Amino acid sequence: MPEIKVTPLGAGQDVGRSCILVSIAGKNVMLDCGMHMGYNDDRRFPDFSYITQNGRLTDFLDCVIISHFHLDHCGALPYFSEMVGYDGPIYMTHPTKAICPILLEDYRKITVDKKGETNFFTSQMIKDCMKKVVAVHLHQTVQVDEELEIKAYYAGHVLGAAMFQIKVGCESVVYTGDYNMTPDRHLGAAWIDKCRPDLLISESTYATTIRDSKRCRERDFLKKVHETVERGGKVLIPVFALGRAQELCILLETFWERMNLKAPIYFSTGLTEKANHYYKLFITWTNQKIRKTFVQRNMFEFKHIKAFDRAFADNPGPMVVFATPGMLHAGQSLQIFRKWAGNEKNMVIMPGYCVQGTVGHKILSGQRKLEMEGRQILEVKMQVEYMSFSAHADAKGIMQLIRQAEPRNVLLVHGEAKKMEFLKQKIEQEFHVSCYMPANGETTTILTNPCIPVDISLGLLKRETAIGPLPDAKKPKLMHGTLLMKDNSFRLVSPEQALKELGLAEHQLRFTCRVHIQDPRKEHETVLRVYNHLKGVLKDYSVQHLPDGSITVESILIQATAHSEDQGTKVLLVSWTYQDEELGSYLTSLLKKGLPQST
Amino acid sequence: YRDLHTFELQAPTRLIEWARGSRVCVAGYGQSDGNEILQLIPPPTLLTKETQGLCPERDFKVECGGFSKRPVYSLKYVPDTSLLVTSGPPDSSLQVWQVSAEDSDVIKFVSTIATENGTGQSWAKIATISARAPWVLHGSRLDRVEITEVESRKNVYTAASGGSEELSGLAFLDCNTLLLCCATGRLCLADVRQPQSLMEAVSVPSASRSEQWCMGTRHGAQGLEPSSQPVARLSSWGLLTLTDLRKTSESLASAKARVPSSGSGAEFLCVSWAPALEGCLAISGFDGTVHVYDTQSWDSSGKEAEPIFVHKGHAFGGAGGSGDPPLVTVHTWHLQKPKTLLSAASDGSLHVWDWVQPCGKC
Repeated sequence: MPEIKVTPLGAGQDVGRSCILVSIAGKNVMLDCGMHMGYNDDRRFPDFSYITQNGRLTDFLDCVIISHFHLDHCGALPYFSEMVGYDGPIYMTHPTKAICPILLEDYRKITVDKKGETNFFTSQMIKDCMKKVVAVHLHQTVQVDEELEIKAYYAGHVLGAAMFQIKVGCESVVYTGDYNMTPDRHLGAAWIDKCRPDLLISESTYATTIRDSKRCRERDFLKKVHETVERGGKVLIPVFALGRAQELCILLETFWERMNLKAPIYFSTGLTEKANHYYKLFITWTNQKIRKTFVQRNMFEFKHIKAFDRAFADNPGPMVVFATPGMLHAGQSLQIFRKWAGNEKNMVIMPGYCVQGTVGHKILSGQRKLEMEGRQILEVKMQVEYMSFSAHADAKGIMQLIRQAEPRNVLLVHGEAKKMEFLKQKIEQEFHVSCYMPANGETTTILTNPCIPVDISLGLLKRETAIGPLPDAKKPKLMHGTLLMKDNSFRLVSPEQALKELGLAEHQLRFTCRVHIQDPRKEHETVLRVYNHLKGVLKDYSVQHLPDGSITVESILIQATAHSEDQGTKVLLVSWTYQDEELGSYLTSLLKKGLPQST
Repeated sequence: YRDLHTFELQAPTRLIEWARGSRVCVAGYGQSDGNEILQLIPPPTLLTKETQGLCPERDFKVECGGFSKRPVYSLKYVPDTSLLVTSGPPDSSLQVWQVSAEDSDVIKFVSTIATENGTGQSWAKIATISARAPWVLHGSRLDRVEITEVESRKNVYTAASGGSEELSGLAFLDCNTLLLCCATGRLCLADVRQPQSLMEAVSVPSASRSEQWCMGTRHGAQGLEPSSQPVARLSSWGLLTLTDLRKTSESLASAKARVPSSGSGAEFLCVSWAPALEGCLAISGFDGTVHVYDTQSWDSSGKEAEPIFVHKGHAFGGAGGSGDPPLVTVHTWHLQKPKTLLSAASDGSLHVWDWVQPCGKC
C-alpha cells in the first residue's frame, strides 16, 4: 500500500518551532523551517540530522515550503540553507518573500549585536538564502518537477500566510501553517476548496481555547488608550511594522473619528513607511472590505495618524505613538520608551511576543529597574500592558477547515498530546477519519489508497460488462484486461487488441513432462493400467481412452512409449497447455507416485 | 459594568456548574447526539480578585471534554470525587462520568443509573452531596424522588409519594434534609431519616394561572443553619416569592419582576442568590437579559420591583437579525468575586460580567 510519511522536526507536540518533513510518493518536502523563540542554544533550531545522516540535503529534499513570515516558521531558514547546506528551491508567497528578510535581519541584529552570539547566520547568508526563493501566487499550480506540484491557498493569520497543497500524481497533502477562520479588519478568513487530500496537517495551538470575543479585546485596548490620553499621558505601542500594526491603526482611526478625539497619533517613519508601502502593493491579500474601500479611499492612509518626528516625543500633552521595533530592543521605540518610562501617566502596550533579552521581555516579566548602556538604571514607572491579537484557529475553526477540505486523514501539530485527545476524538467522530498526533522526531505513516484513472477500450468494456451481474455504482467490479502504459497514459484493452497494437502474435505454451513407470508389459497394457487408475481417481474429470492409444484427461494428453534402453520401463509423456498448468502438475505428481499393483 | 467578557461556545449550553479549582462546566443540549460536556479553566483575569485590563491570557481553556449521546439538561459534580452526573431527555435516567484531567483530557462515561420509567416522564432534576457517601438526589416527578449512591448505584432512600406533579428543582439543605420544588410552585421538605413522611412546606401561591415555578436556595456562609436562608421562587410570569422555611405559613416577601409577561415558557427559568452579597438575587429565562435584584427592600405586597442591574449583552450579540433573539438559558454567580456573574444564551454566547451599582443606590 502506498504511504505518506510525516515527521515533525519541531512543533510535534510543542509550540516553538515548526518544521515538518513529508515523504509522499518518493518525493521529500520540508514544510516550514522555524526557530524556537524560547531557547538560546542549539535547541532553537530543528534537528536536521533526522533528515539524513550523511548525504546532502539538496539531494534528498525536493523542495522547502515556508507558510508565512513569523520567526517560528522561517527563523531557521538561513541557518538551514547556508550553514547546514541546501541549494534546492524554497517556495513561499510574494508577501512572505518580501517580508521575511526584514524580520530575519531584525532578529539577527538582536541576537548577534545585543546578545553577542557567534554561532548565528550573517546578513549575507540571509541574502543568499533569499536568492533560492521562488515566489508563488495564490491558487497557482507550481510544478516543482515533472511529478511534484504545489498550490498555495489563503490562510488569513498574517499578510502573505498561506496553506499549501502538495500533490504527486493522485496523492496529496495539505499543510495549513498557521491559519484563521474568522476574518478581521485587514485580513480575510482562510479558505480551501474541496480538494480531498489524503492528509491534512493542521496546527492546533488554540484548539482548546474558547476565545474572548474580539470586540472585548478591542474595547479593552481602546479603553486603556483612552484613559491614558484623557489624563494627559502618552501611549507607546511598539510594533513590528508589519502585521497587527495596521489592524491597530485602523482600530484607533475609527475610534478617534467616532469619539472626536483630538490627541495626535503618530506612526514612526522609516521601516513603517515601507511596511505601508508593502501593504498597498499586496492589497489583494487583504480582505474584501478593505479592497472595496481602497478604490474610494486608501484605507492605509489615515486621517488622524501622522508621520512621526523624533522631536515630537518631547512635546507636552497626550499622544499615541506606534514605533518600531516591536520588542523595544533598539531604535526608535526604545528611544521613546526611555523618554517616557519615568512618568506614571504614560503607558506602553506590548502587542506580541518578546524575545528573551529584549527590554520588552524584561518589562513584561515585571522588571521595573532596567540597566541601560553606560550602566544607567532606568526606573520604569509607566504602565506596562500586554495584549495579544494574534489570530489562530480554535476548535470550531479547525472543524470548519476539515469540513471544507474533506481530507481522508488529519494530523495535528503544535499542541500537547494529552490535551489533544478530546479534539482527536471529536474529529474522528464527526468526520470518520483517522487523526494523528506525532511527537517531535516521531514518524507517522499514513496509508493511502490512490485511484489511478485508466482508459478502457469500448470493446473490452462491452465484453466485460456482459459477463456477470449488472454494473452497480456502489460495488466495485473486477475486470480483466491488458494494461498498456505509454508515455503518461494508461489504457486497458483486451489481450487480442494489445497483441495487435504491439504487433505481436499470440503464443501457445505447451508443457511436456516425462514420467518413468516400472512396467515390463506391453505399452498398450500399460496405457490400460494408467487409464483405469486415472478413471478411478479422477472421478470428476473427463478421462478418455482414445483409439490411437493415448489418454486424455480434459485437454491433457498422455501417451506411453517404451524406454529406449530398458524394456521394463515405460515412459509416459504428459502434455498440457499453459492454461491447464494446475491440472497438469497434479497429474504428473500423481503418476510419479506410481501405479497401483492390482491392475 | 466594571468588566464584561463575551465568549462564544461551539454549541449553546443550558447549564453552568462550578467545579473544584475554579473550573466551570458547560454542556450541549442539542437534539442530535454528539453533545459535548466541556470542563473549562477560566482565564486568570476571572480568578483573581482585582480586575486586570489587558491580560495576555483572556481565554477560557477547554481542560477536558466528553461526548454525550443525549442532550445534557442538568449536570452536577459529585463533591470529593472525580465523578459527575448528568441527566437529560428522553427519560429520567442519569449518566455518571469520570473526570481525570491529569491523565487525559477526555471525560469518560462510566455508568447509567437507571430509573423506573413511567409514561410521561421527563428528565430528572439532580442534586449531589458527599456527606456520608457520594449521593445523588434525583427525580423528575414528586412521586419518583430517590437518592442513589453514585458509585454502587444502590438506592439509599425513596421519598414518600406526595403527588405526581413534575419537579422543577431539588436540593440538599443539609445532609439529612431535602427540599423539593414542583413546577406548580409547591415546596416540600423531606428528611432522609424518615422516608415515610413528606412534609409540605409551602403551598402554591395565589393566582396560579398555569404558571411554572422554579426555586433558588442559598448556600449560606459557614456556620449558618441552611434552613434559615430564605428560599426564592420564581414564576414564569415574573412573580418572586421569598420564604423562610422555619415559618412557612407566610411568605417573607414577594415582588413582581419587570419582565415581559409573554410567558415564553419555563424552559430556562433560573433564579439564584448571590453567595457574597446579602439579599441579592438574579433571575433570567424570560428574554435575553439577566436581572439583579436587592430583596432587602421588599415587602409582602407583591408589587413591581426595580432591578438594581440588568445585563442586556446577550440581546446584542452575534449575527444581527437572523432568527429569534437569543434567550438566556442559565446564569450563575461567581463564588468569590461578589458582583461577577456568568450567563449563557441560546445562541451559544457565554458572558462573564462584573456589574457596578449605578450611583445613588449604594
